[in-house]
Amino acid sequence: MKFLVLIFGVVFAFFLGDFLWSQRSTETRNGIVDFIENDKIPFDHKMHGDSLGLDCAACHTGARSGSRALMPSKTDCMDCHRLPLTENEGIEKLDSALKEIPEHPWKIVGKLPEHVFFHHGVHAAAGVTCADCHGRKEGTGNAGYLSNSYGGEKFDMMSCIKCHRGESFRDRNFKKAATYCAACHR
Amino acid sequence: MAVAGILFGCRKLPFVGETSSADPTIRQFQDEVRLAITKAKEGLDLVRVQAPGALSLPDASRDNRFGMAIDLDACDGCGKCILACSLENNVPLVTAEEAAKGRFMHWIDMHEAAPFMCAHCENAPCEKVCPTGAANHTPDGLSAMTYKRCAGSRFCGTNCPLQARKFNYNDSRKLGLSHQFNAEVPPREKGVMEKCSMCIHRLQEDRARYKTSSAAAAVVSGVPVEPWRGRGVKTACAESCPKNAIVFGNWLDEKSPLVEATRNRQLYAPRQLAKFGPSIVYMMGRR
Repeated sequence: MKFLVLIFGVVFAFFLGDFLWSQRSTETRNGIVDFIENDKIPFDHKMHGDSLGLDCAACHTGARSGSRALMPSKTDCMDCHRLPLTENEGIEKLDSALKEIPEHPWKIVGKLPEHVFFHHGVHAAAGVTCADCHGRKEGTGNAGYLSNSYGGEKFDMMSCIKCHRGESFRDRNFKKAATYCAACHR
Repeated sequence: MAVAGILFGCRKLPFVGETSSADPTIRQFQDEVRLAITKAKEGLDLVRVQAPGALSLPDASRDNRFGMAIDLDACDGCGKCILACSLENNVPLVTAEEAAKGRFMHWIDMHEAAPFMCAHCENAPCEKVCPTGAANHTPDGLSAMTYKRCAGSRFCGTNCPLQARKFNYNDSRKLGLSHQFNAEVPPREKGVMEKCSMCIHRLQEDRARYKTSSAAAAVVSGVPVEPWRGRGVKTACAESCPKNAIVFGNWLDEKSPLVEATRNRQLYAPRQLAKFGPSIVYMMGRR
């Protein structure tokens, strides 16, 4: 009997040790966008998106067709801002700021773990809008770009798999998607 | 002690041999492939098999079952497939001591001048013994590995009659044995089993690209498009073969190069594997 307890104790000790000091799993990477020149260009998502009716993929190239959504370069901004667009006095300030900023004013900091395969285009093609995943604050039904809140989203596998199983976004009637490991992992 | 062995396994064991911390060059990979060819394992008994059909597994796809056919009449055992596979999938080198014993990490093994890799069996014996579910089957007929789930029990490697699975005894990145040639494929960690993935990253990429463009085409034309069949995808080994002896394709797609190449050929599989329904078969002689 004592022997059994000893064996159980040793096994339990090993499991406890494994639980306490084992190697941590890969951390969740998130999609934080770092604004290098944040004070120079306070970019207004609401104005560009809602008032002008620009599609997200107009600046974030690849959001609808590629595997990644990219950040616009200065040239992309200048495509529109080369001309004086409004009488608004802020525009002059913007023009001078645009002259000073580097060629790539924004960069993507967060990225997917390398064993995960995620394709933006497929999700857009399936009817998922950008605001379904990006910028939505907990508890509010508003899309993120309306409140100019972007970045800082925490994506983990559970949020992916809930939608793939059809447990979240019930109101959107998305089709159930693949949940076998090798659909997204490599 | 036995309990300690089970719980910690070989993760804490010291590695075998000496290494340098320098980043390995392509020449080192080439030399290792040459060495592996000279140390080819003994030939395997081949038996006749039928062309692989639809999978009998639950949730299996009715459109796709990916596989390969290797033409043993054309293959001269040059080993270019091994090198291409290593560069595509970031397969690490081994230490000189292990190489001398003929233990390589290559996903393709030479058995008497013929390449043999994981056959992606329909009833894969390796998947049945995986305690964590890291070895599992996709609906498309691939025997996939989820490396992050692998706990390194090595049951799968023991249960594979072909010994097609390779275990990472070393942290090859730390030891300067691996170089990430291809950013699309994650390097495997120490204590993880790895094997031929049938270039799953290429298939995933193509599926996503096809679905994206076909959804756009369906909106324009108003007609639902065909499901994805993986047309145009090739594995690294098939691409690199100078004799076109390796043909990759979809067994269930009549237009696939695989079905066309095997139409009038006699198909074979290693005797040990034939009963498990391999997706990768060998061609010899006309029918």
